Amino acid sequence: MDLNLVLQSLISGISIGCVYGLIGIGFCVIYNASGIVNFAQGAFVMIGGMATYVLMTDYNLPYAVAAICAILLAGLVGAVVERLVVRPLWDRNAAMFVMILATLAAQIVIERLAYILVDDQPKTLPPFTDIAPIRLGGIAVNYQSLWIVGCSVLIILALNSFFRSTRTGKAMRAVSINAEAAALQGIPVSRMLTLAFVLSAMLGAVAGILLTPTQYTAFNMGVPFAISGFIAAIIGGFGKPLGAFIGGIALGVIQSMAILGLGAGFKNVAALSLLLLFLFFRPSGLLGSTR
Amino acid sequence: MTAAGTLEVAPPVLDVRGLTARYGHVEALRGVNLTAGRGELVAVLGPNGAGKSTLLRAIMGLIPNQGEVRFLDKSLPRRDPAGAANKGVVLVPEGRGIFGPMTVLENLELGAFAIGRDKAEIERRLNRVFELFPRVKERLKQVAGSMSGGEQQMVAVGRAMMSDPKVLLLDEPSLGLAPRVTGEILDTLGALSASGLPVVLVEQKAPLALKLACRAYLLSLGRIVATINPREVKSHDELAQYYFA
Repeated sequence: MDLNLVLQSLISGISIGCVYGLIGIGFCVIYNASGIVNFAQGAFVMIGGMATYVLMTDYNLPYAVAAICAILLAGLVGAVVERLVVRPLWDRNAAMFVMILATLAAQIVIERLAYILVDDQPKTLPPFTDIAPIRLGGIAVNYQSLWIVGCSVLIILALNSFFRSTRTGKAMRAVSINAEAAALQGIPVSRMLTLAFVLSAMLGAVAGILLTPTQYTAFNMGVPFAISGFIAAIIGGFGKPLGAFIGGIALGVIQSMAILGLGAGFKNVAALSLLLLFLFFRPSGLLGSTR
Repeated sequence: MTAAGTLEVAPPVLDVRGLTARYGHVEALRGVNLTAGRGELVAVLGPNGAGKSTLLRAIMGLIPNQGEVRFLDKSLPRRDPAGAANKGVVLVPEGRGIFGPMTVLENLELGAFAIGRDKAEIERRLNRVFELFPRVKERLKQVAGSMSGGEQQMVAVGRAMMSDPKVLLLDEPSLGLAPRVTGEILDTLGALSASGLPVVLVEQKAPLALKLACRAYLLSLGRIVATINPREVKSHDELAQYYFA
C-alpha cells in the first residue's frame, strides 16, 4: 500500500477524530454533572454549522461573527433543553433512562425545528483559510485540518484550565464527584447542571462549525456525529474529557484506515466494531470511566 | 424519661420543631424537637437505625420533611441544602463527603464557595483551619482521597469551617477512625463549641460524645425518647438504662 496514502488517511483521521473528540467531551461534561447521557448532543453540532450558514447568507454577518453567534445560540438552546426537558424530570427524581429518552426526543424536536425554519438541503461553509493545501512530499494537508486540530487542542487546554483553575470549574468538578457533598458546601448544584448543558452545547457547536467546511451540514446530520462522539467517549472512558479526545482521534484514525483498506462502506462497521470491542473487553475505556 | 429539668439551655441558634421525615411508607423521624444555642455542643445518640443521620439530613433539607427548622429565628427553606449551607448551617456528612480526586487545598477552598473570590478572607479562614489541624497544612497539595481516614476527617471538618459556620452538624465523625485520631477530632470540636459555635454531634460512641456534650438527645425509632444531662450519667450502666428504658 502506498505510504503517502496511509499518511494522508492518517491526517484525515486525526482531523475528523478531533471533531469526534470535542463532541465526546460534550457528552462527558453533562454526564459528570448529572449522570445523564445527553443524546441531544448531535443537535448542537447541527446548530453550529447550520446557524453559522444562515447568519452568513441570510443576515450577511462576517464568518467569525456568525460563528460566535452560532456558538452562543447553541449555548442558549443547551440551557433551554436543560430547563424545559431535563430539569422537570430531575426535580421529580425521574429514572435515568427516562431523562436519556427525553434528551433523544429533544434532539428530534430541534432537528425538525431546523427543518421547518431553514430547509432540508445540505449546506456547507467556506474553509476558514481558503488557499491551496500545504504539500509535504506526496501528502497534502489542507488548512481546515490544521484549524480543526489547532482549535481542538486550544479548547482542550482552555477546558483543562477552566476545570483546574477557576472557582466555577472546581465547583463543577466537585458536583461531578459528589453532588450531595457539593450542595453541602453551598454550591448551587442545579446551576452547575445548566452550565454543563451550556458548555457542552457550545462545544458541540464549535465541532459543527469546524467540520462543516470539510463536509456539509443539514438538519439531520447531528445523530451520526453524536453517535461518533458517544463512541469516542466510551473508548476514552466515559466521563473523562481527555479520554474522549484521545478516543475521538483513535476512532477517526481507525475509520480512515478502514475506508482506505476496505472501502467507504466499512467506515461505520469499523467504528461500531471498535465500540463492541471496548464494551466487551475494556468497558471502562482507555482512561477508566468516572462511575 | 427526661432529665431536661436540670439542664441549662442557651437561647437557640438552631431550633428544630416537630421535624418529621419518611422514606417511602416508613416514618424515619417523628416530630423531633431539638435546640442548639451559642457555645453548646449537643449530642444525638441512639442505636443503629434510630434516625440520627436522617435527622441531620432533614435539617439540611437533603430529604423531604415536615415540621420546621428555625435558624437565628428564621425558617430554613425545606429543600435547599446549598441555601442552608450558605446561611451558615453546615453539615459534615457521614463518610466525610470528601472530593477524593481533588487536592486538600481545593477541598478547603470549596468550603468557602459562598464568599466568592475574596482572597484575603479565604486566606484568613485557611489559617484558622491550620490552627485547628496543623497536619492539614502539610498536605495541601495532596490528593484528598489518598489520605488516611483521620486526615480526611480533619479535611472534612476544616472544609466545613472554611464556610465560617454559625451551626456545625457532624454525622459520626469517629466512624472508622483510630481512638487517638477520634480523640484529637473530638477535642477540636469541644474547643470550637467552647469558642461559641453551636455544634450538633451525631455519634454512636455515646461515652465519647457525653464527655463533650452539655445535653444529649436519645433517639429511638425516629423519636426523641430522652433528653440527658451528661453530668448526671455516672456510669455506662446508667447510660444503658436510658437506651433500654
